[in-house]
Order: sequence, then C-alpha cells, then structure tokens
Amino acid sequence: MKIRTVRYFSREAVRGIFRNKLMSLAAVGTITMALLIFGGLYLVTSNLQYWGQRARNQLEVRAFLTKNAPDRQVMEERLSSIPGVKSVKFISKEEGARILGEMFGQTDLFSHGENPLPDSFNIYPVRGADVEAIAVKIERISGVEEVVYGRNFVRFLNLFVRLIWIVGLILISLTVFAVLYIVINTIQLTVYARRNEIEIMKLVGATDSFVRWPFLLEGIYLGITGALVSILLLFQGYTILYGKAKSFARILPVLSSFEVTMDLIVFLLIMGIFFGALGSILSVRRYLKV
Amino acid sequence: MITTRNLTKRFSNGVVALQDFSLHIDKGEFVFLVGPSGAGKSSFINLVIRKELPTSGLLKVGNMDVALLKKNEIPYFRRNIGVIFQDFKLLPNKTVYENISFALEVIEADTREIKIRVNYVLDLVGLTHKRNEFPSELSGGEQQRVSLARAIVNRPHLLLADEPTGNLDPETSWGIMELLKEINKRGTTVVMATHNKDIVDRLRRRVVAIENGRIIRDELKGGYSLED
Ligand SMILES: Nc1ncnc2c1ncn2[C@@H]1O[C@H](COP(=O)(O)OP(=O)(O)OP(=O)(O)O)[C@@H](O)[C@H]1O
Ligand SMILES: [Mg+2]
Repeated sequence: MKIRTVRYFSREAVRGIFRNKLMSLAAVGTITMALLIFGGLYLVTSNLQYWGQRARNQLEVRAFLTKNAPDRQVMEERLSSIPGVKSVKFISKEEGARILGEMFGQTDLFSHGENPLPDSFNIYPVRGADVEAIAVKIERISGVEEVVYGRNFVRFLNLFVRLIWIVGLILISLTVFAVLYIVINTIQLTVYARRNEIEIMKLVGATDSFVRWPFLLEGIYLGITGALVSILLLFQGYTILYGKAKSFARILPVLSSFEVTMDLIVFLLIMGIFFGALGSILSVRRYLKV
Repeated sequence: MITTRNLTKRFSNGVVALQDFSLHIDKGEFVFLVGPSGAGKSSFINLVIRKELPTSGLLKVGNMDVALLKKNEIPYFRRNIGVIFQDFKLLPNKTVYENISFALEVIEADTREIKIRVNYVLDLVGLTHKRNEFPSELSGGEQQRVSLARAIVNRPHLLLADEPTGNLDPETSWGIMELLKEINKRGTTVVMATHNKDIVDRLRRRVVAIENGRIIRDELKGGYSLED
C-alpha cells in the first residue's frame, strides 16, 4: 500500500463522516451514551473500592504484653520483623490508662490503686488485607498475652472489596454485550444506507480492503469522538458531584477527579475505538460479497 | 475477447435471463446488443463483469474463465473492463471529479497522473464545468456521461456500454458515439447494448439481436431489425 493511498483513506474517512452527517451523529451519540454508562459504572465501582481499601488500611492490631515480657526494644524488634508490618507503636500501661481515661472522661482512672493494664503495642500492616495473617503470627510471639483486632470487621471489609470488584466486573461485562449490540446495530444502519456505494466501488475494481479501510477509519474516528464527548461529560459531571461530596469527605472519602483521570480516559478511548472499529468491520463485511 | 458457449443464467427467482447463449467477440470489435426490454442484455453484461455467476455453460473474457475466478482476483479482473451502467452507478457522496478519479484511486495511480487523466476525460465528455457537483445535482444525461468518463479513464481493454445514449438528446448521443468509435479505433473492444435504432442503422456494425435470452440474429454490418 502506498503512502498516498493511506492518506487517501484517511481523507475519505473524514469526508465520509461529513457527507453523512446525520448517520455520523447517530453513531457518535450511541457510542457516547454507551461510554457514559461504562464511565458511570467505573466511577461508582472505583469509589466503592476506594472506600473499602481506605477503611482497610486504617486497621490495626493491638498486642497486649505479659507481665514478665522482655523489655520494649526486644518486643519492638520481634514485632517489626513480621513480614507485612509497616510500623509498630509502643503504648505503655500509663499511656493506656490515659487513653482509657479519656474515653470515660476521667483523668485519674487508676490513681488510687495499681494500674492493672498491661503494656501494649499497636501494629500497623502495610496492606489492610493482611491484618488477619499478621494477628495470627503475633499471637505466637512469646511475651504476647493477647491479640485484639476487629476480626469480623476485617472479614467484612475483605469480602466487601472483593465483592465490589466482582459485581462491578459482572455489570460492566453485561453492559458491554448489551451496548455492543446497540452500537453495532446503529453502525450497521449507517453502513446499510451506504451499501450501494460499497457495491459500486467493488464493480469499479476496488479490492475488499480498499473499501474497508475508509469505513474502518471512519468508525475509529467516530469512536474517538464519542469517547471524547463522554469523557468531557463525565468529568464535568464528576467534578460537580465531587465538589458536593467533599464536604462529607471525612466520613465519605471520594476520589478526586484527578485520581481517576488517566485510567478512565484510556479505558473510554479504547472502548470507543473498539466499538467504532468492530461496528464498521462487521457491517461492511456483509456488503462486500459483490 | 469474449467467448460464450451454451451460457445460461437462471436467477434464484426462476427467471431465465440467458439460455443456450453462444457468442464470440474478437479483440477490437464493435458490437451492438439489441433486443426488447427484458431480453437479457444487461444480464449478459453483469455476467461478463462477474457481478453474477453463470448457471451453466462457458464464459471466457480475455483468456479467463469467469466462473473460475477466485474471490481476490475479481477486482483485478474488473480493472480491465470499463462499464457504463444502465443505471450509471455513481457514488452519491462523491463529486463528479471524485467519481471518475475513483477508478484510478483503486489502482493506486499517481496523484499527478490522476489529475491529468481525469481532467482529460472530463473535457472529452464535456463536463469540466460540473466537476465539483454531486450526482444528485446532475441531469440524467450528465450522470450518464460521468459514468462513461469513469469507464474510459482507466483505458480498459473492454468497454461495456449499457444504453449509453438512453438519456441523451440526438446531438449529444452522436457526440458520445463518436467518442466510442474513437476509443474502439484505438484498440478497445466495445460492446454496446442499445434501443437506439437510428444509431445502429447508421453505424452499420456487427449486431447481435437477443430475444428471451437467446441469440436470434448475429449479423456483421447489420441493422436494428431484420428488415433494415
Ligand atoms: N437480479 C435479478 N434477479 C432476478 N431476475 C432478474 C435479475 N436481473 C434481471 N432479471 C430478469 O432477467 C430478465 C432480463 O433482464 P435484463 O435486465 O438483462 O434485460 P435487458 O435486456 O437489459 O432489458 P432493458 O432493455 O430493459 O434494459 C428480465 O426478465 C429481468 O426481470
Ligand atoms: Mg438492461
């Protein structure tokens, strides 16, 4: 294929779009709608995931020491050397009493007697998902009396994060098929309107690929246009929602639009190109048999 | 150039468009196909360009058995044949210029050569001033001349003209006939289906008369009907 033929194809594709304005508009509109659905699903899924993960990463394990435990440095070393542990924090029994006191609104909780609390450590995992495994290991260290962590909460969060993934994936795959069907039908309609053109081209001596290329490029251009429009709408919409949600951000953390930008843009562009190209190829194919 | 032996075409709806059709057309000949509407003239042309496949019998174009052409050979085969279609078959979304140049774009000719050749044939058919119009903005006769220009721009070995004067006034018709004669003189085989008695009678070329898909007369220097 000559360079000038490639240029001819891209010129033809652009002409095809503008000389069939209504059909092009219909195709772009359908692709935009499809990608809006995907983008919306993606934003909801990734925010739910983010909440789950954030909650998980705030998890900690508390280890209470025995009365005759080795001194602080030794215990700290033993705990830090467990794989998956990010940091440990020593809480002396005096500090423990103070924290407990604050909780009950009393500063002199154990002032008349002996402080019954043991020394303890707070252990923070690198990944929230590992909390349970780390807790089991800590229990086996000598000098540790008792290990406390939100066992059920951890299990719930792990399940939640995984579930979000699975449900999101299922929803997206289901819509891929539904949406693909609609998009292909629309593009098929636009190509159907031009089936005579395809026949004429073939009768004048065009090869299949000579006919197909401009249509394929046209589909890709329309797909990219649809993707760009949907990206614009999604980010505009998301930014507005984000501004509203930020005031609740402490209880309901939300990904800033900047944090989701690249992934989503790439995802939507790829989807747009895929829809446009596949739609064109499938539609042109049936009219090439001349 | 074209050889048929017992060629038969039966469409899927049962209509028999050609039967027992045996004909030989030499390289460089000028042949009129005449016969009433529905006789099978266009069907013959569609078989020659492999738009349709023969039901039975032999059809050779050049030295190619058309029925044996592979799918990917068909485009290259068609590039040697220029066709003026009865219904013009112009691309509605392309201008006059682009319609004609399309026949050269498919063979990946050079830009400069395309420009020279398209301008040349535009001038030949007298449509230079309509080069940027779309087919829908042209009269029937003008569309027909665009179809003619596209058919000859590639300098084909074989020119199939299906009613090329069907929509033209007598004067333009004769202009077109002069053109076809000239192209034929330069070596292109011309097969022309027509109802134009006047032209056939005055040109006195080989006439193949078809009726109900059968050849009923094949006459060198013939007239439109037997009595002429
Ligand atoms: N694709 C097709 N499917 C079914 N029947 C067809 C098809 N094309 C042509 N026919 C039939 O074949 C017969 C011959 O048609 P054809 O077009 O070859 O006639 P023609 O000689 O060109 O007529 P005209 O002078 O009106 O152009 C007609 O009866 C027509 O209805
Ligand atoms: Mg006809």
